[in-house]
Amino acid sequence: MSSDVILVIVVGTALAFDFTNGFHDTANVVATSISTGAARPQVAIGFAALLNFLGAFISISVAATVAKDVVDAEIITPTIVFAGLIGAIAWNLITWYFGLPSSSSHALIGGVVGSAVAAAGLDAILAEGLVGKVLIPAVVAPILAFLVAGVAIGLSYRVVGGQRPGIVSRGYRYGQIVSGGLLALAHGTNDAQKTMGVITLALIANGTLGAEADPPTWVIASSAVAIALGTYSGGWRIIKTTGTRIIKMDPAQGFSSQGAGAAVILASTHFGFPLSTTHVINGGVMGAGAAKRLSAVRWGVAGNIVFAWLLTLPAAAAIGALTYGFTRIFGSGALGPILVTLMALSLIGAAFARRAQQGAPVTAAGG
Amino acid sequence: MIASIVQAKELWQTVVASVAAGIGVTFAFSMAIWGVGQFSELSRNDRPLAAALAAVAASLALTAVAAAVVFGIVVMTHK
Repeated sequence: MSSDVILVIVVGTALAFDFTNGFHDTANVVATSISTGAARPQVAIGFAALLNFLGAFISISVAATVAKDVVDAEIITPTIVFAGLIGAIAWNLITWYFGLPSSSSHALIGGVVGSAVAAAGLDAILAEGLVGKVLIPAVVAPILAFLVAGVAIGLSYRVVGGQRPGIVSRGYRYGQIVSGGLLALAHGTNDAQKTMGVITLALIANGTLGAEADPPTWVIASSAVAIALGTYSGGWRIIKTTGTRIIKMDPAQGFSSQGAGAAVILASTHFGFPLSTTHVINGGVMGAGAAKRLSAVRWGVAGNIVFAWLLTLPAAAAIGALTYGFTRIFGSGALGPILVTLMALSLIGAAFARRAQQGAPVTAAGG
Repeated sequence: MIASIVQAKELWQTVVASVAAGIGVTFAFSMAIWGVGQFSELSRNDRPLAAALAAVAASLALTAVAAAVVFGIVVMTHK
């Protein structure tokens, strides 16, 4: 009975994380389309939410990696998964509060790894999967997006260089409807699968599913709905950081950065790499800016983003570990997770109230 | 040890697919814009044959973009 209560809390928390993931990452998906004038904010965000939803259904490779290749499912308990999720949500909200586009994915994996180590030591970690499927792709993917976007924009400028600017800008703005859509689809498929993977991990840990089971349909559908709702409610603060503060983009740069981001995320998703979509998209944006003119990239802002990226894994891991330690004070039953959930809800409410008092952020719903 | 941990084959295929799709699609779409631009310019200069060729080039490039997008989604859904 107690373990079922914890499982229900874990599923609810995972879907809440999925919501915050969509909320946090809206900026990454729509910022370039908005900043180049390819789409109005409400239209871009609504379109992105729909494609995030659809994207969640096209693959389960990443979910399998998160559920089976990062931590040892036989050692993991639902409480460990819960503590990891709290670590990820807390770090997502901290970076949202300060307007930093850090990685929801690294926060999730960091949180789960931190709580697993706190509970069972280093034996709980599957080093091969963590390094080979998470850490190495985490480094390679943004660099790849940077290079692909840089080469692509260089080629584009050569091809359309002699054309009238009006036709070129209009053409790439139309193109951004497709490239932005693909980016949203890619985001939905990679990021929603992480939540599916975590819920599946909790179901395996609870004995509800067998060790080699795939995510059930209700897990896929609920993850799709949560990320789509989060995307639709997305945060305007980070849209500003990604869309205008890293570089001021023209439509060709927007198209090539979105195309590069979508290509890298979709290819990685196919092989089950749970990437940081934030890192990849920002890598593409910086590549498109740097190829035109190195000084076009506001390297100070980019440096702050990199700093937040580096901090994400250890910070989420530390919060996950502390959360697990706190829940254990109340034994192995449901009391610890219930108390942590109540405390987390209070803190989230306070953070939103404080932000509302300061007059920001402006959400999609609020314009 | 590191060599056994790194998923070299999958990582390499990811790099190749990303480069081909990211650069290829952007190049093809740029060719489409170039074709439209040329069509508009040549039509204004009363060169219908050259304008028609530019329109064909633009159409082919757009078809290549659409085919690449559909192919990518089909590959994603078949694993």
